[in-house]
Amino acid sequence: MLYNKNKIALVDCNSFYVSCERLFNPSIAKKPVIVLSSNDGCVISRSTEAKILGIKMGEPYFKVKKIVKENDVRTFSTNFSLYGDISRRVMKTLKQFSPQMEIYSIDEAFLDLSSIKDEDLLEHAYNIRETILKWTGIPTSIGIAKTKTLSKTANYIAKKEKSGIINLVNSKQIDEILSRVKINDVWGVGRQLTKLYIKNGINTAYDLKNVHNGWIKKNTNVFGSRTAMELKGISCVSLEPHQEKRKSCCVSRSFGKKVKKLEELNEAVATHCLNAAEKIRLDNQTVKRITVFIRTSPFQKDKNYYANSKDIDLAIRTNDSIELVKQALFALKKIYKQGYQYQKTGIIFSGLKDSGNFNENLFSKINNEEKRIRLMKAIDNTNMKYGRNSLSIAQAGYKKNWNAKRQHSSKIDTSCFNLLPAVRAL
Amino acid sequence: MKLLLPFHLNKVGSGFPSPATDYVEDDIDLNIHLIKNIPSTFLIRVQGKSMNGVGIHDGDLLIVDKSLNPKSFSTVIVNINEELVIKTFVKENNQSFLTSGSKEIEDKINLTENPEILIWGIVTYVIHAL
Repeated sequence: MLYNKNKIALVDCNSFYVSCERLFNPSIAKKPVIVLSSNDGCVISRSTEAKILGIKMGEPYFKVKKIVKENDVRTFSTNFSLYGDISRRVMKTLKQFSPQMEIYSIDEAFLDLSSIKDEDLLEHAYNIRETILKWTGIPTSIGIAKTKTLSKTANYIAKKEKSGIINLVNSKQIDEILSRVKINDVWGVGRQLTKLYIKNGINTAYDLKNVHNGWIKKNTNVFGSRTAMELKGISCVSLEPHQEKRKSCCVSRSFGKKVKKLEELNEAVATHCLNAAEKIRLDNQTVKRITVFIRTSPFQKDKNYYANSKDIDLAIRTNDSIELVKQALFALKKIYKQGYQYQKTGIIFSGLKDSGNFNENLFSKINNEEKRIRLMKAIDNTNMKYGRNSLSIAQAGYKKNWNAKRQHSSKIDTSCFNLLPAVRAL
Repeated sequence: MKLLLPFHLNKVGSGFPSPATDYVEDDIDLNIHLIKNIPSTFLIRVQGKSMNGVGIHDGDLLIVDKSLNPKSFSTVIVNINEELVIKTFVKENNQSFLTSGSKEIEDKINLTENPEILIWGIVTYVIHAL
């Protein structure tokens, strides 16, 4: 076949958070570097040098502290406003290489390269990689193939290659490369499927590609079949350039120190509630159900572990911060128990739907709805202009003593005027 | 990164309406004029005095475009000895040098002899508070 309709590239930033930290800090360019999750809990990004030292993804910080000390591993707390800004820059740069693009996560995107001739694919990929590196300073890896699952697989191998690019379209290497990918590293194969496959002697992506369709259909579900078909080069998962609106919205954080008092929990829940409410208003959505959850540390399961959650179904959908906070605090009061050391709390808004235009209902007049909608707009606009939490409601507190620890933050933000990076004139 | 300067022509809303209101286009958006390539442009603050000679002072704000390539006498951000510093890039007899500010070149770093020194970005504008 001369013309392949489906050519999909997966562009993935290498050790993204670490690469962002390195952007303005050349002193860590060749050193082992790790980034820790909020409260400096677990390792969530590692440089190649840190991987070689044996630091695993997701490992708790206290377990790797010895390696960190002995090898002078540079450690950072998350700086998500920096990562977010750099991510936007990477995606904007990528956009010029294909009209059809799906942003898959903060650091990876699928590109439709169907319009590129097969023989030009590699050069195109080199060009993408060079441009992203020059414009944003972020190194990437690129996998190109006929399906999304294959391009993910190609990318997985590309990460280990010096060139950073693997092209599987019309490639003779395809089986050799698939046999280098362990079954649990195949996109869409979770823990349960891995167990089933390994029990049946399917150990690599290559094995899965060659399993009889009938067996897959009989022993797995629709997702299992889909993955197997995609490995055979038959596209089953299409590119989704337009992001679907979320159906639920969760904001949760661990505390910087353990929290005992209801007042402090109230502040945290109200703050999360306001953040979530702002997000859904931005998408013009309303909430049907609020869930509030609290828990103590799971590492103290033996002594005094407590976790609970409470749902509240709203009589009338809303995205009004004041109403949502009121309901959330009511839910919290129902599940709060004295005498526990709480470690985490969060809020989930679910049953989200487009709010459409202003709908008058029986209670609109009594609740002053139109006025409240205008109030929310004013709050959102103020916060967008002057920074988050410039205008808040009193229940969210001011001191926020419970806020997460970020002891090793780089405190640089390319999107915040007061935290801009610096260069020396010497 | 949004910088909007309101451009007022009609101060007071009473009396005879200003005949100029028809000609007002919009607020001047400095971003449009000072930033040609949004994803590759960064705002960076200066620390130090070595570039005073070319009008770049301590605390000034630099607009830096990473996508550009340096020309002779470009002001550049470079990575020297594991640090980002600001220098002037000079081309002379097919060789490239970095100097500090002034055009009377005194301290010269030969880039051809120091290939580990990488150009990070090109300074396109300086914003200096008076």
